[in-house]
Amino acid sequence: MTNKIALYAIVGIIIGLIIGGAIGYMAAPKAAPTTVTVTSTVPTTITKTVTAPAGATPAVTTTLTTTIIKTITKTAPAAPGKPKTITIEIWTIGPDPPSEYRLKNFYIAAEVLNSWLEALGTGVKVEIKGEFFVRPVEWGEYKNKFYLAAKAGKEPHIYLTGHEDLGFLAEKGYIIPLDDYVKKYWDVVYYDIIPTLWDAVKYKGKIWAIPQDTEARPLYFRKDVLRKMGWSEEEIEAFPKKIEKGEITLYDILKIAKEAVDKGLVERGLVHRVKEGYDYFQFYLGFGGRLWDPEKGKMVFTKSAWKKTLQWFHDAVWKYGVIIPTQFSGDWDKDFHGPFTKGKALFCSGGTWHKGEWVSKGLLTEELFKNNIGFALHPAGEPGKKPVTLSHPLVYTITKRAVKDGVADIAFMLITLVTDPHLNAIHAVKSAHLAILNSEILDSRYAQDWFLRDVAYMLKYTTFIPNHPKWGDYSRIVFTVLKAVEGDKSFTPDKAFDTLLKEIQRALGDAVIIEE
Amino acid sequence: MQRTRRTKVRLGALWAFLLPSLMLIGLFFFVPVILTFLISLTDMDYSFEWNWVGLANYIRILTDPWVPKILSNTFFYVSVTLTCFNVGLALVLAIATTHINEKVGATIRAIWLLPRITPPAVYALLWLWATRREASSLFNWVLGLFGLPPINWKLTYPWLIVILVNGFVGTSFGMIIFTAALKSIPSDIIWSAKVDGASTFQVIRHIELPLIKWPLLFVTAYQTLSLLTSFEYILLTTGGGPGFYTTEVWALYAYDLAFRQYGGTAYFGYGASLAVFLVIIGIIASVTYLKVFRFRELMIEPKIEVK
Repeated sequence: MTNKIALYAIVGIIIGLIIGGAIGYMAAPKAAPTTVTVTSTVPTTITKTVTAPAGATPAVTTTLTTTIIKTITKTAPAAPGKPKTITIEIWTIGPDPPSEYRLKNFYIAAEVLNSWLEALGTGVKVEIKGEFFVRPVEWGEYKNKFYLAAKAGKEPHIYLTGHEDLGFLAEKGYIIPLDDYVKKYWDVVYYDIIPTLWDAVKYKGKIWAIPQDTEARPLYFRKDVLRKMGWSEEEIEAFPKKIEKGEITLYDILKIAKEAVDKGLVERGLVHRVKEGYDYFQFYLGFGGRLWDPEKGKMVFTKSAWKKTLQWFHDAVWKYGVIIPTQFSGDWDKDFHGPFTKGKALFCSGGTWHKGEWVSKGLLTEELFKNNIGFALHPAGEPGKKPVTLSHPLVYTITKRAVKDGVADIAFMLITLVTDPHLNAIHAVKSAHLAILNSEILDSRYAQDWFLRDVAYMLKYTTFIPNHPKWGDYSRIVFTVLKAVEGDKSFTPDKAFDTLLKEIQRALGDAVIIEE
Repeated sequence: MQRTRRTKVRLGALWAFLLPSLMLIGLFFFVPVILTFLISLTDMDYSFEWNWVGLANYIRILTDPWVPKILSNTFFYVSVTLTCFNVGLALVLAIATTHINEKVGATIRAIWLLPRITPPAVYALLWLWATRREASSLFNWVLGLFGLPPINWKLTYPWLIVILVNGFVGTSFGMIIFTAALKSIPSDIIWSAKVDGASTFQVIRHIELPLIKWPLLFVTAYQTLSLLTSFEYILLTTGGGPGFYTTEVWALYAYDLAFRQYGGTAYFGYGASLAVFLVIIGIIASVTYLKVFRFRELMIEPKIEVK
């Protein structure tokens, strides 16, 4: 009998394993690899565009070519017979899939470079070994992977990251300063970079990276819902302008959203990001808060603005009922993209790249977007304050390993080649990011994109987050407190403020200026 | 002379057999514990620098504004899961399946092993599917049969999901131990009780339960420690949410601080100190169990006769 029982148990376990295995196989996320290796299929048109850049004079191109050839032949002297291959490793991330040209452009650039090298008979070939990470890999995981790889001496030569990490990366010696390079090739392309972006890549007076893209974070709104609320077309059209003038404040947004919810037109008044990030700092900026003191090189905590911001979030959830209490631990599709693109949420605090994501994912067509969705600056917190937006330029850095492997020069060449108005415009248009070069705005692709043209004015109101090694602590503490304010009614704004201040002081000490 | 040589050989053999496992224990248990403790005395982040900060991380635990919430969550999670499932349901199942037809009983026990042998990620995913907010999900489909509206389970009853998910996995361990213990109770004791006119309930209450007291205490102690340090199913289902730390337990909090940071900022030092704290709680709980429930007696003298 006991044997039989054992037999049943074994059979049961085997069946269980088979069922479990089968379910596991079926449940495994399909076609969502953590990394996407982009093949170097290059449309001929692009190659042509690159070989004859409209913005650059032939003289400049020649200079660049000559310099590159000199550098490469110096790094890898020509050998008879077999061409010598120099491999450059590059890591980039979306995490939104449409941003794939952050990597693809390197393949295009390498192809151009190789055609020059071949034509000149240098016997050297540049090969790109690149990775483009997309969701489910998020920023945190991507960065962690880099730090671990760097400790093992296996980090890539070129590493794309958010500009706010430069302080940390520079301080800990992961990356190299690029001032000499930028000076050397200033006239090739760097003179053309939109000046404010240089602020984002500087830390302690040095340039540590080259901007890759930037963006604005608009407050999107559903025009169709406003129409149902009885707004005229003129009123809808005037809405972004009123926000720009500061006539509509964050509390007005709550009132409008509440009206839409009360009338049963939408399920949610406003959706914002569902994970930690930087978007919600715009609310604080809208209430007149400051994040960075450039002169003292310190982060700033404006007490009055944080008090008002915490009060606003608490009111939005618990008084007006326009944000759900679990928004900060929600799901991107079900709590952000879905409700807004289906017209079940009136406002969406998003970013320009979301437009790219919605259209490329098929959540909205270009036409539906144009007809039903409007976008404005993030409103001022109260009368007398200014509307805002926040930019988070992504940047290419060159790592210590590139120096160790003797390929830093070539890595910089490649970055110089992709910092091209036409190549960058492909990325900008496909992923709805904003131009980093003045001449890029004139690029035919870019100029034809009505959305990018219409959001461009927002950059006048933009702010960056601080390039400080301890910025991650600031961000983490704010996120936890905001999540608590939204998720727990009994966590009053006063209690939240005390906690926030204490935690910031404890974690940041001298690195932060506390102002009234 | 002969004897000494033989002793030496025996000792040598003893060491040869013991050494591999001692090395494994040393390498994979003691070294990590010592390393974790050392890291907890630093403010290490992704630069992996050993900046010694003394007991600062431990002082931070005492002043951390979120610790009271995390602690009460952990207490709630451990006590409810333990009482309702890992010990409670395990006992009910063991008793029930040993009192019915043995084939049926064995089959039921085999089925209860399924959650344990399913890979955690798959198992968690199945639960997420079953409790989806859509009307077509398993839970909501059942509600629909009674004409009830669908519920967003994860949002409305996160603790229910966390406890069910962990409980269904945890039940099997106790169930097996209790079944083995129940089966080793000599049948003549039960027969004589039956002859004396005892009902099944009386047999359970007055014979079986007192005789499996020691396994009961062992499972309680073991599962308390196991639940204290477990977080993977919570991570995979609610992720500590919804909202603000609703289902965040101590072990998950330590994991989150050390590894799940948006900006790549890692609190290895603080996370390690939280882990060490958990080890301390575990040791205190173990010693308490040993003293209060007199485990030594369990080890020395078998309380159950072996057939």
